Amino acid sequence: MNKFTLQLRVKHSEGALVRILGVTRRRRFDLLHLTADTTEDGHFLDIQMTVQADRAENTLVRQIEKLEDVSQVEVVEPGETAGERRTARSTAC
Amino acid sequence: MKGAEFLVKALEHEGVEIIFGYPGGAIMPVYDALLDSKIRHILVRHEQAAALAADGYARATGKVGVCMATSGPGATNLVTGIANAYMDSVPMVAITGQVATSLMGTDAFQEVDIFGITLPVVKHSFLAKTAAELPRIVHEAFRIARSGRPGPVLIDLPKDIANTVAAYEFHEDDSSEESAEPSEESITRALTLMHESRNPVVYAGGGIGMGNALDEFRAFIETTRIPAVATLKGLGALPTTHELALGMMGMHGTKTANHAVQTCDLLICVGARFDDRATGRLNAFAPNARVIHLDVDRAEVGKLRRADVPVIGNLRHALKALTCKLGNIEPWRRECTASKETHAWDYAAPGTEVYAPGFLKSLSDRAGDDSIVACDVGQHQMWVAQHFHFNRPSQHLSSGGLGTMGYGLPAAIGAQLAFPNACVINVSGDGSIMMNLQELATLRRYDLPVKIVLFDNRALGMVRQWQELFHDKRYSEVDLSDNPDFCRVAESMGIPAFRVEDRADVSGAIDRLLAEPGPVLAHVLIHQEANVWPIVGPGRSNSEMLHEHEVAREVAR
Repeated sequence: MNKFTLQLRVKHSEGALVRILGVTRRRRFDLLHLTADTTEDGHFLDIQMTVQADRAENTLVRQIEKLEDVSQVEVVEPGETAGERRTARSTAC
Repeated sequence: MKGAEFLVKALEHEGVEIIFGYPGGAIMPVYDALLDSKIRHILVRHEQAAALAADGYARATGKVGVCMATSGPGATNLVTGIANAYMDSVPMVAITGQVATSLMGTDAFQEVDIFGITLPVVKHSFLAKTAAELPRIVHEAFRIARSGRPGPVLIDLPKDIANTVAAYEFHEDDSSEESAEPSEESITRALTLMHESRNPVVYAGGGIGMGNALDEFRAFIETTRIPAVATLKGLGALPTTHELALGMMGMHGTKTANHAVQTCDLLICVGARFDDRATGRLNAFAPNARVIHLDVDRAEVGKLRRADVPVIGNLRHALKALTCKLGNIEPWRRECTASKETHAWDYAAPGTEVYAPGFLKSLSDRAGDDSIVACDVGQHQMWVAQHFHFNRPSQHLSSGGLGTMGYGLPAAIGAQLAFPNACVINVSGDGSIMMNLQELATLRRYDLPVKIVLFDNRALGMVRQWQELFHDKRYSEVDLSDNPDFCRVAESMGIPAFRVEDRADVSGAIDRLLAEPGPVLAHVLIHQEANVWPIVGPGRSNSEMLHEHEVAREVAR
């Protein structure tokens, strides 16, 4: 099992959170933990989610990246703050 | 101006010429606004056909197909067509009426959460909350539908928003739709692998046509001289008769194509996604090959097969950058083209009944390069893929990813409306035709000269074939011997029809089909136990193709 945590920034649009959760489930990643907050201006949602699966993290990262309203996807350590994030791998396949 | 008029005006601004749809309560304001528009509305007889016709229109033209339905059942009936477009990356905008915002969430009459229902099968979706945002939403929907990897976009429009009066603000933005160019590093690495390879094969997918990269693809093949196999959707990327076109790969592919892929040392995948029907057992697919994967959708690369070199971005740029002369592949090319001759299709089948592959080969020869074929799903679909000659992918409208029975007739309607003078043929089966039979009435209403070839084996042929080969001949729910008289059904809807029962009559039947100025249906009886050959069994590797003579020998033992 591969367990990892994603930090996402998503436009606060109709169905944004459901869309993310839907992709996560359809691609067969189990959700273990989730927090979501609107940004101060109300335009975005900041989501941190921990998931596990037999599949590689990039499988999910790339499907989430494709969503129209997603502006940021990063793999982070659980509980890590924005300044400490390491960026998601973008070249390895 | 009302929101509904905004919507229609914005559609006109996007260049929409045709909408396929069906009216109803919640979408009525839009239908009212359409009366004053130059956009042509095509009234189908079931909303599923509206979505599938929009899909056929989009595949044939490369433009965004537009369909429309009311809330509730109108909207849910669109879903199969939207999913079909999603699976095959077809640009589409689907517009649904919705109950008024004050009623949403109250289980109102004809209320359904179509936004929620379609989430897994749309590229994106919008719920209109104000009239003023409609021009922006429409513009965004079209941009998203056609950019990058194309797909369907839903706009759900509550009735009160459609009736709201507001000032129209024209929406224009200049954001680029061009997808990114591949990195120089990936091109350099890909070129290195290409020059090292002795037995390269190109695996051509639907992305070539959808990505408008046909010219670049052909120049790439002509210069590198690498033999190419095609997926169902990649057929026509090279003309079928091209010396380097090895035919379709996969479950019902050619021996030559599958053998080339299984023995190559380099597989260059261009706009394809390693679908299970194409690869057979994945861990035995192209076992000796390194992989270069060109795709506009990063998520497809490495999804099922690791790519040694991913080339992410616009296919046109990628193919141009990889076009170069290669040395040392001449013996391999000769081996591939020789195999093509050895394994050429044999149309001399025993018996006097109509032989569907032979029928299709003759039809293809006579219908010519400008014809468009829309098929349904099943055995006939595979025979079309195997035996029709294609000069471009947009000539072949086939439901690849979703495998939607009932696709063909609506898709043919969409294509014929786009190209009124083209020879548009719907090849169907006695199972599939019944899935959207009501659209014969649409053919008649608009007098669309679609030629329908209905192969009738009195069975759900592909399922029957699987039960014969892989379920010990335990036939379960595949008998259709009580089919209606299809000629009389067609005639009752104003479509001339005739029956073809004997192989000797095929030539005359094709004459009659092609000479008919309007719509016509040829009801073609074939043997009930006709199978599609060759076949790769479920869970088998593409190296283990079953051929008719081998299976016959097996049975004789």
